[in-house]
Amino acid sequence: MRITHNMMARMFTGVLRRQTLAMIVQQERIATQKRISRPSDDPAGAARVLSGRGLLSGLEKYASGIQQGKSRLEFNEETLKLLGDLVRQARRTAEEKSAGGVSAAERALAATTVREIADQVLQLANTRFHGEYVFGGDRRDVAPFVRDGEGRVTYRGAGGAFLIPLPGGAPIAVDADGRNYFQNEAAGGVDLFAELDHLIAGLENPDLEEGTAWIRATLDPLERAEVQLRNKRAEAAPQAYRLQATEEHLTRLRATVQAAIGRDEDADVAQAIVELKSLQVAYESTLAAASQILRPSLVDFLR
Amino acid sequence: MTHLFGVLSTGTSALLTQQRAINLTGNNIANVNTPGYSRQRIRLETATPVGTAAGLMSFGVVSRGIERVYDRYLGIQINAEASRSGRWEAQQAALERTEALLDESGGGGIAAALGGFFGSWQDLVLKPGGEVERTVAVAASARLAEAVRSRYADLERMRRELDADLESAIEQVNRLALQVSELNRQIARVELGGETANDYRDRRDWVLKELAGLIDIQTSEAADGQVSVSVSGGRPLVESGNTWALRVEPGADGHGRIFWPDLDGALTDITASVRGGRVGGVLAVRDERLVAYRERIDEIARGLLAEVNAVHAAGFGLEGTTGTDLFVGSGAADLRLNPEVAEHPGLLAASASAEGIPGNAGNALRLLSLRDTPLLRGGTATFEEAAQGLVSLIGFDVQQARAQAQHTSDMLGFLENHREAVSGVSLDEEMVNLIRYQAAYQAAAKLVSLADEMLDALMTMVR
Repeated sequence: MRITHNMMARMFTGVLRRQTLAMIVQQERIATQKRISRPSDDPAGAARVLSGRGLLSGLEKYASGIQQGKSRLEFNEETLKLLGDLVRQARRTAEEKSAGGVSAAERALAATTVREIADQVLQLANTRFHGEYVFGGDRRDVAPFVRDGEGRVTYRGAGGAFLIPLPGGAPIAVDADGRNYFQNEAAGGVDLFAELDHLIAGLENPDLEEGTAWIRATLDPLERAEVQLRNKRAEAAPQAYRLQATEEHLTRLRATVQAAIGRDEDADVAQAIVELKSLQVAYESTLAAASQILRPSLVDFLR
Repeated sequence: MTHLFGVLSTGTSALLTQQRAINLTGNNIANVNTPGYSRQRIRLETATPVGTAAGLMSFGVVSRGIERVYDRYLGIQINAEASRSGRWEAQQAALERTEALLDESGGGGIAAALGGFFGSWQDLVLKPGGEVERTVAVAASARLAEAVRSRYADLERMRRELDADLESAIEQVNRLALQVSELNRQIARVELGGETANDYRDRRDWVLKELAGLIDIQTSEAADGQVSVSVSGGRPLVESGNTWALRVEPGADGHGRIFWPDLDGALTDITASVRGGRVGGVLAVRDERLVAYRERIDEIARGLLAEVNAVHAAGFGLEGTTGTDLFVGSGAADLRLNPEVAEHPGLLAASASAEGIPGNAGNALRLLSLRDTPLLRGGTATFEEAAQGLVSLIGFDVQQARAQAQHTSDMLGFLENHREAVSGVSLDEEMVNLIRYQAAYQAAAKLVSLADEMLDALMTMVR
C-alpha cells in the first residue's frame, strides 16, 4: 500500500481530534463534578437521576407534612391535657361543694370559679392552630362552639379529620370533630359544656338541698367527660408513633436516594484526573511523534 | 535512419519528453494538498520503430498521454459512505441541539414542574382552606402548564430551524448539480478530442462527493464520459448538461417538503424517499424523532387534561363550586391553567364534598394519589416517569446518532485513505521521479552534445 504524507497528516489530525475530545469530556467532569451533564452522557442514568430527584422532592414534602402533623398532634395533646386538668378541677369542686356544711357564700364563690373553668373550656374548644379551628371538623374557618340565645353551647362545626399524607399508604386522620371530644350524647358521650352549666346551676341554687343533689348529679358525667378526653388523647398516641416511625424511615430513605443520585450523577474526580493525565501524556506524545514524522521528507535529503 | 541526425532527434525527443515528465511531477507536487486531486502519470512509450539495416529499431521516446491514477469503484463507495456520514452528522447535530433545548438537569423541565405541582397538592391536603397553600398550588399548576407548553413550542421551533437547514441544503444540492452538469459539458468537449479530462474529472468526483454528503444519489457514467445523477430512486437531477432544480415548498403542516419538477414543471413530493445525506438526516430528525418527542409531551398534556381534570372536577371549591376543570386546552400546544382558577384560587377543588368545605381534603388527597398512578404510556408510567422517559429517549437517540456519526465518518476516513493510497500524491515518490527524470534529461542532453561533437568531427573532415 502506498502511504502518502497526506495520509499521515490525516491520521494525526484524526487522532488528535479524538484525544482533545476525550480530554474535554474529562475536563468537563472535573469542572462540573458531574458524570452526567446531559442525557446522552448516560440516558438510563439521567432518567434515574431525574426520578431520584422527583422522589426526593416528594419525600421532602411528606417530611414537612409529617412535621406539621407532629406539631398538630403535640398541640392537641397539650390542649387535651389542659382540658383534662380543668375538668378534674371542676369535678373536685363539685365533690367538695356537694359535701354537707358548705355555706351559700362558699358555693357562690365556687360557682365563679367553675364559670371561669367553663369559659376556659369553651375557649380551648375553640382553639386555633395555624389560624384554623382545631375542633371544628371540616369547618376550620368558624369557631365550632358558641353559646346560643339560651346560653346553651351548640356545635356549628362539621364532621371531618385533619389529614396527614403519608407515602404509599392511607393518610393519618386526626379526628377534628369537636362533638367527639366535648359532646356526642347520641353515641353515649357526655356534653361537657352542659354538665359544667349544670354544676354552676347547682352551686348557685339558693335551695341548698336541691343544689347538693344537682351538684352530685354532675359528678359521674364529669368523670366520664374526663375519660372521654383521655381516650381522645390515647387515640393520638399510636398516630404519633406512626408519624415518628415514618419520619425516621423517610430520613433514611432520603439519604439512600441521595446516595443513589450521587452514584449516578457525581463524577469520580480522582479517576477523572487520572484519566485526564494519561490522556495528556497520549496527546503530547502524539504531538511529538507528529512533529518528528511529518517534518522530514526526501526533500530534506536532496542537496 | 541510422545516421547522425537520428541520434540528435532521439536526444531531442528524450529531452522534450523528460521535461514534460518533470513538468507533470511539478504539477503533482503543486497539488499535493488539493482536495480531490488524483496524481497523474505520464505514459512513456518508445517511438514507432523503423526498419533499418540492423533490423527494426526505434529512435527516441514519446509520451502517449497523461493518465490519472484512480479507482472508479472506490469513488462510488466513497459517495455512498459520504451519504451515510452526512446523514448521521446532521442527525447528531440536530439531536444535540434538541437535547440542550429539553435539558432537565437544571431542574427547569416538565419532570420538575410535575414534582412541584403534586407537591403543592400535598400542602393542600394539610391545609385545604389555606390562602397561601392555594396561591402556591395555582402558581405550581400554571408553571406545569407553562413547562409543558413551552417544551412543546421549543420542539416546534426546532422543527422550523430544521426547515431552514433543509432549504439551505437543497439550495446547495441545486448549486452542486449545476456544477456537475457544467463539468459534464467540459469533460465531453475535451474527451471528444481523444484526451482525458483528468482535472475536470477530479473536480467532478469531488463535487459528486459533496453532493452525496447532502442527499443520497445514484450515479452512472455514459460512454461519452458524462455522468447522470438521480435522486429518490431514479428521478434525474443531472443528465449530461441538464439539471432539475429541486424545490422546497411548505407542506400541509407548514414545514418544508422537497419537490422534484418533471419536464413539464409538474412537482412530485419526494420528501419521504430521501434517506441519506444531510437532507436525509435533517428530515429524519424533523419528521420522526422530534414528532415522537412531541407526542410524548402531548401525552402528558392529554393525561393532565383527562385524569387530573376528572379528579378535580369531581371535587368542590371553597364557594361550593364543582365541575371545575383545572387545566384547559386540547393538548400540549395550548395547555393552560383554567383562567378562572388562576383568578380565584378558591376554585381549587380540595374538598370531596360540598359539606366538607373548607377543611375537607379528600379530593386533594385523590389528586395527590395520581402522582403514583401509572396512567400514561399504556398504563405503565406515571406522569413523572413519562417525563423522565422522554429525557432518556432523547439521550439514547443522541448517543446512537453520535455513535453512528463516528462510525460512518471512520468508514469514510478509511475509504478516503484507500483513495489516497491509490490517487494521493506522495512527495517522496515524486522526488524520486524528479531525480529519475532529471538524470534522464541530463543523459539526453549529453546525447545531444555528443551528436554535436560527432557532427563537428564530421564537418572538420569535410574542411
